[in-house]
Amino acid sequence: MKAVTIIKQVPDAEARVRAAGGRVDLGGVTFVIDGMDEYGVEEAIRLREGGFELEIVALALGPSRSEDALRTALALGADRAVHIETDAWLDPLTQARVIAKVVEAEGAQLVFVGGKQADWDSAALGPALAEVLGWPHSDWTTALSLSDGSARVKHDTDGGQEELTLPLPAVITTQQGLNEPRYPTLPNIMKAKRKELAKRDLAEFAPGAALTELVSEDIQTQGRRGVIVTGDAVSAAAELVRLLRDEAKVI
Amino acid sequence: MSTPDRNPQSGAAGARVAAPTGGAFLTERQDANTVLIPEAFDDDLKMFAQTARTFVQREIVPDFAKLEGLDYALSRAKMATAGGLGLLAVEVPEVYGGLGAGKAAASVVTEAVAASGSFNVTFNAHVGIGTLPLVYFGTEEQRARYLPRLATGEWVAAYCLTEPGSGSDSLAAKARADLDGDEWVLNGTKMWISNAGFADLFTVFAQVDGDKFSCFLVEKGAPGLSLGAEEHKMGIKGSSTRQVILENVRVPKGNLLGEIGKGHRIAFGILNIGRFKLAVGASGGAKQLIGLAQAYAKERRQFKVPIATFGLIQEKIGRMAADTYALESAVYRLAGSMDAATDGKHDPAAQLAALNDYAVEYSFIKVFGSEILDYVVDEALQIYGGYGFSADYPIELAYRNSRINRIFEGTNEINRELTVDQLLKRAMRGELDLLGPAQAAMLGRPVETVTAPAAQADAELALANLKLGTLMVAGMGAMAYMQGLEREQELLARVADMVGLCYMAESALLRSERLQGARGGEVALLLARLYAFAAVDRARDLGTEALRRIPRGKEALPRFQAYLAERGVDLVELRRQAAEAVYAADGYPLG
Repeated sequence: MKAVTIIKQVPDAEARVRAAGGRVDLGGVTFVIDGMDEYGVEEAIRLREGGFELEIVALALGPSRSEDALRTALALGADRAVHIETDAWLDPLTQARVIAKVVEAEGAQLVFVGGKQADWDSAALGPALAEVLGWPHSDWTTALSLSDGSARVKHDTDGGQEELTLPLPAVITTQQGLNEPRYPTLPNIMKAKRKELAKRDLAEFAPGAALTELVSEDIQTQGRRGVIVTGDAVSAAAELVRLLRDEAKVI
Repeated sequence: MSTPDRNPQSGAAGARVAAPTGGAFLTERQDANTVLIPEAFDDDLKMFAQTARTFVQREIVPDFAKLEGLDYALSRAKMATAGGLGLLAVEVPEVYGGLGAGKAAASVVTEAVAASGSFNVTFNAHVGIGTLPLVYFGTEEQRARYLPRLATGEWVAAYCLTEPGSGSDSLAAKARADLDGDEWVLNGTKMWISNAGFADLFTVFAQVDGDKFSCFLVEKGAPGLSLGAEEHKMGIKGSSTRQVILENVRVPKGNLLGEIGKGHRIAFGILNIGRFKLAVGASGGAKQLIGLAQAYAKERRQFKVPIATFGLIQEKIGRMAADTYALESAVYRLAGSMDAATDGKHDPAAQLAALNDYAVEYSFIKVFGSEILDYVVDEALQIYGGYGFSADYPIELAYRNSRINRIFEGTNEINRELTVDQLLKRAMRGELDLLGPAQAAMLGRPVETVTAPAAQADAELALANLKLGTLMVAGMGAMAYMQGLEREQELLARVADMVGLCYMAESALLRSERLQGARGGEVALLLARLYAFAAVDRARDLGTEALRRIPRGKEALPRFQAYLAERGVDLVELRRQAAEAVYAADGYPLG
């Protein structure tokens, strides 16, 4: 059986990003594999360690630097990697259409997608991919087991939990709690160099015109107001409550 | 040894990292494209560093307090986890379960693990002085027996050189080994032995026939092997430090490591690498402390503004950044040279011989590394103010832990002497042409132009003349005192510092030259110029004091001061700018 794990490269959580000219400036930022995607790689590895004969293919759609995130996936335990290289910004549905072609060509039975991308907070790729493929989809998955051609999954709901079964092939989007991802050992980092990393051109997949266009980006900034509330404790507390409620609107 | 050739780290534009002759930096300038810089690390190095950092975050930080309380079982467990990740196997040959990787790879791991408090000592005593004697001197049998277990952390190693009566004078050890039939009988007491409390393998130095300094492998549980109580130390309290006492300990004849009477080769060869590793760890520690200090300076408000805005805070942070940048640049430049020097050499003895070529560099880089870390931690504490003095904040522990670095792997005093001693020996053996350049410097005039990128040409010119000034003082000292030079320790130390300043400043400038127009290039240039001009100021004081003492030296002062001319660069301004770069990066701004 074959599993494809989608890999996205995102700025490190501690990276400082700035916006300039309507675009986020990522110059000087350290990029890492998206933590949500690590859950997918880890889950695939655990399925294999649990006895499933599973070939794990890491797939990235993105700029050339995404190769580093694929190398990380290979060092974690993916068997080989495919990199569709593009600098273009693609909306999630267009991404899904491209990725679906690779998934179908690979004949994969399982696709892991990060539940929510750590950079632009989009959670659309998993559902969009399931839609394009016409496959069942488990959202925000916190537990997964396979048997007899179907997957049994758990996912959290607001204040509760659901258990579902879905026939394979299926798309699984990940969630914190699915597992505790390992990190690559030094020997596996060295072995990863000898694993296949195939480069593909986006044009091969005829993605068509984008459905949406990115017009501009901005970043929320937080600053201190520098207000010091003075007076006796009782009146200062009342003033603080008023400021928090009426001005900051946080209570 | 079947370790395959390593991939030497690439320099710029496909240039290979070079292995210049040890000490030759005083007279020749290395091509910047052949220097290893952190910005040119390959994927392996970047990922090794990331795994080591994740190990510290996930495994050490949550148990930090427990580890600092000295917990043998926990220390062993963490070593086993490190072993499982391959962190203990970097320098072990592949046939013995290791990675067979080089010093640059080991360095990125060492730098990351430096942020683990006392565990750093446990780790380094094992992978460095604990494991490397076997890597470089073990027989096939010895290596097959011990290295796979050391590489996984199943066994932990301790290195037993120092004795109650012999520290810096390590060859004066009193421990003895006598051959009795097929066994060596060991007697003696070893002092300050890191990892002693939970080690499985002890590498013990002892005299055969009274004065044939030799080395032996002793396993835990050998009858007659016992340990003293845990030492009550100022810092690194979470590492085990005990005496190792040998009373008629019998080991098989085959447990002799290396040859009888050649123990000094092991002791000094391994100490050489240990000195280098200590500087690497200091670089990692200093970067971490800069991160803490700048964060606190931005957060702490006095007189209604963050203290980060004050000139005297910026001055500290600016100097911390420049010194650390120079150290980091020097450490990886040297690691690159070490790997290039051993590339393609399969015989461990040949590898070690190639590594020993940099004995001068190891000695001063140990001194500079430990003193820069001590400066950084001292000023970090000062920035924290009263909170820095409180054990509830992280600086107090870092301050206490830092202090040992100026003592172990050879005190800084011994290493200052060794810097000059080894330099002169290399010159006398004909491995290095110092005599001609020194004579020329004693009679010469300052260099007026250098080939260098315009943005750093002023600092390059200062460096070229700093080298001449250093050669001049060294040459005059050697001529004036000849064989009596070793009695002029104060003079030797000053020359050693000037030699080290040349290498550090040059490493800083080589890196900024490489980074011109690239990411980090502007900050590198700022820090390199700051370090280089400050180095000239320091060297001017050192050399002036030396010349006042050397017979006829006073007459040479004008020539010396012409070499180290005043260049009118406002270092206060550069330090302010450097602090701003640190603030903007939320920590050490490169690497």
